Amino acid sequence: MEIRSAAAEGLASCHLCGKVSPVDLGHCPRCQSPLHLRKPHSLERTWCFLISSIALYFPANLLPIMSVSGIGGASHDTIMSGVLNFWKKGDFLVAIIIFSASILIPVLKMIALCWLCFAAAGKTHTSPKNLTRLYHITELVGRWSMVDVFVVAILVALVQVGALSSVLPGPAILSFAAVVILTMFAAMSFDPRLLWDQHVGRDLSDTP
Amino acid sequence: MTEEETHEPRATIHHRRRWSSVWVVPLLALIVAGGLVWKHYAGRGPIAYVRFETAESIKAGVTEVRCRSVRVGIIEKVDLSDDLLSVVAEVRMDPNSEHLLRQGTRFWVVKPRVSGASISGLSTIVEGAYLELEPGDTNLPVHHFDGLEEPPVTSSSVPGLRLTLISEDAGSLSSGSPIYYRGFEVGRVERRTLDITNRRIRFDIFIKEEYSSLVSQGTCFWNTSGIDVTAGADGFKVSTPSFQAMLSGGAVFSVPKGGNVGPPVQDGAVFELYPDEESAQKSIFRPDHRILLFFDQTVRNLSPGAPVEFRGIPLGRVVEISFKHSPPGDSRVPVVIEIDSDTLGKAVEDINDPSKALAECVRRGLRAKLSSASLLTGALFVDLDFVPGAMPAELTKIGEYEVIPTESSASIAQLQDQVKAILAKIEALPLDDTLNKFGTAADEISITVKDLRGTLDEAEGALAEAKKLLARDETQNLTAELQATLKQVRSSVDSLGPEGAMQGDLARTLDELRAALRSFKVLSDSIEEKPNSLLFGREGSGDPTPRAKR
Repeated sequence: MEIRSAAAEGLASCHLCGKVSPVDLGHCPRCQSPLHLRKPHSLERTWCFLISSIALYFPANLLPIMSVSGIGGASHDTIMSGVLNFWKKGDFLVAIIIFSASILIPVLKMIALCWLCFAAAGKTHTSPKNLTRLYHITELVGRWSMVDVFVVAILVALVQVGALSSVLPGPAILSFAAVVILTMFAAMSFDPRLLWDQHVGRDLSDTP
Repeated sequence: MTEEETHEPRATIHHRRRWSSVWVVPLLALIVAGGLVWKHYAGRGPIAYVRFETAESIKAGVTEVRCRSVRVGIIEKVDLSDDLLSVVAEVRMDPNSEHLLRQGTRFWVVKPRVSGASISGLSTIVEGAYLELEPGDTNLPVHHFDGLEEPPVTSSSVPGLRLTLISEDAGSLSSGSPIYYRGFEVGRVERRTLDITNRRIRFDIFIKEEYSSLVSQGTCFWNTSGIDVTAGADGFKVSTPSFQAMLSGGAVFSVPKGGNVGPPVQDGAVFELYPDEESAQKSIFRPDHRILLFFDQTVRNLSPGAPVEFRGIPLGRVVEISFKHSPPGDSRVPVVIEIDSDTLGKAVEDINDPSKALAECVRRGLRAKLSSASLLTGALFVDLDFVPGAMPAELTKIGEYEVIPTESSASIAQLQDQVKAILAKIEALPLDDTLNKFGTAADEISITVKDLRGTLDEAEGALAEAKKLLARDETQNLTAELQATLKQVRSSVDSLGPEGAMQGDLARTLDELRAALRSFKVLSDSIEEKPNSLLFGREGSGDPTPRAKR
């Protein structure tokens, strides 16, 4: 079956108002915003945000995310040491939640985005349908990774008992927040239509 | 197709591969991330390994390292050492505190400690123990340290004099014990160690800088821990050191009487610690002659250390009693003494050359004999004295020892003299007087006894009178009268009872009161119904009310 895309017909959907008009017009006849067949520099931007998030992922995990000071000294915990602490104490559920929300999901998200970028560049041969599904899951799940940041923010605000006990945010929390935000940006700047374009292009090339 | 038809020249568009400005974002992120990680890892200070016996109250990741209460690091890890005999704490120093890790730096755990001398580290009860770091003096970087189990009494940076005392016995002197000078605390014992090779105790002591000039070469140190009881001619004397010294021990120093002060001392000087003041005083004795005495009698009760005196002036002491100094075939008991012939030379007149003093004295009749120092213990001492009419003798030498001839102390003549003296004293006693006094005292006692008898007789009479008084009839009648009175009282009480006259009166009065109350109730009821009845009376009674005309 021949797949034909709007882009092949020279039709572009306005980024702002969604009106479909010929791309030759240059500007949307309804809202006057510039028309593009696809998001401009979509892959490039996605890569940029992705690389940034990967870079910041290291300090987010290596540096202490939270320091709890109380009677008997202060303790500094990284994400992983916190998870291990919970696991050792027997709070398996909490440990799993923190591990999946703070370590597993960001990693999976970054892997997924990489995969999508490669697929969009035509380097893989996965079904575009599955890739698009993956993209939507990535976008959906992205915001939930902020749970960590919120937990720390709430703890810092709540636990300030002067000399007895206080919680201070560590340097990792900013990196972690940046990782989450940058992966969200990466997901946003990715244009899922590129996934289909590969196949449309092939089909088009097949058609006379 | 239209372009080809019109043959218009067509601009060819070359898409130059241009770097988008978006690439600034990953560049920035890389720099920030790299910077953060680098700062965290490369910016961390060095690691010091401190060995302790136990990790008591040390917690990895919690216990801080402080230098004068300023945080300079944190304990990152506590591990057992490979030989399982100690623990090694890994201390992560804060950045810029690398210079604190140098040779001589000391670590110890500050935790609550209570000892006889002091209580310290109370603040750590709440905030937890911490590791104190005391930087060393050198600049040689070192990363492995042996932590102190006990905190040093004084920090090595505190200026002052550090000395070593050597003692035979540790006594109650311990780390932290005070050092006194004339009862004033001027320093502390820092450390007490057992010197195994010499089998002696070493005390490292610290004298505060302002008092360090008090210590000189001639200074003697002695232990002042215990209560000192001395029995002298003027009775018993008990001297106690300060309460703290009694608890934790203490040492005193001073220059003994007669000793010379000597030049000031440097750090690390070694002094002997004497067990008490007396031995410290004796320590200035410098014998210059070792003398052998041969006694032809028992030397029981003469012990090494016993004094050697010249007419009561201490000259030296007995060093040794042993037959090894005796020439073969000689059954006399050899006693080695050491004396200071200077004192002897000063005591004897007409001696110009002090080095020949002893020989001259012997020529003049100086003899050694054993005398009893105390009747109670029977202890003997060596008494050197000129014996009039002694056999002429010369100072001889056997080996390294000089020999002074001896005189047997228990000669019959001496005994006789002593007995005679005692008899004379008894004779001189005022016995007659005393007996007379006894007689008068006995007389006085008999007079007193007579007086006493009279007093006793009077007391007897008084008792008889009292008995008579009791036997009289009036006294007997008293009880009957009392009985009658009691009866009357009972009858009056009965009249108050249920059958009594009083009760009837009361019942009557109550009835009347009840009636009165009833009428009062009627009155109050009528007032309540018609308040004006108080003024106008009840309806139908009294004056009729005039009515207005119609």
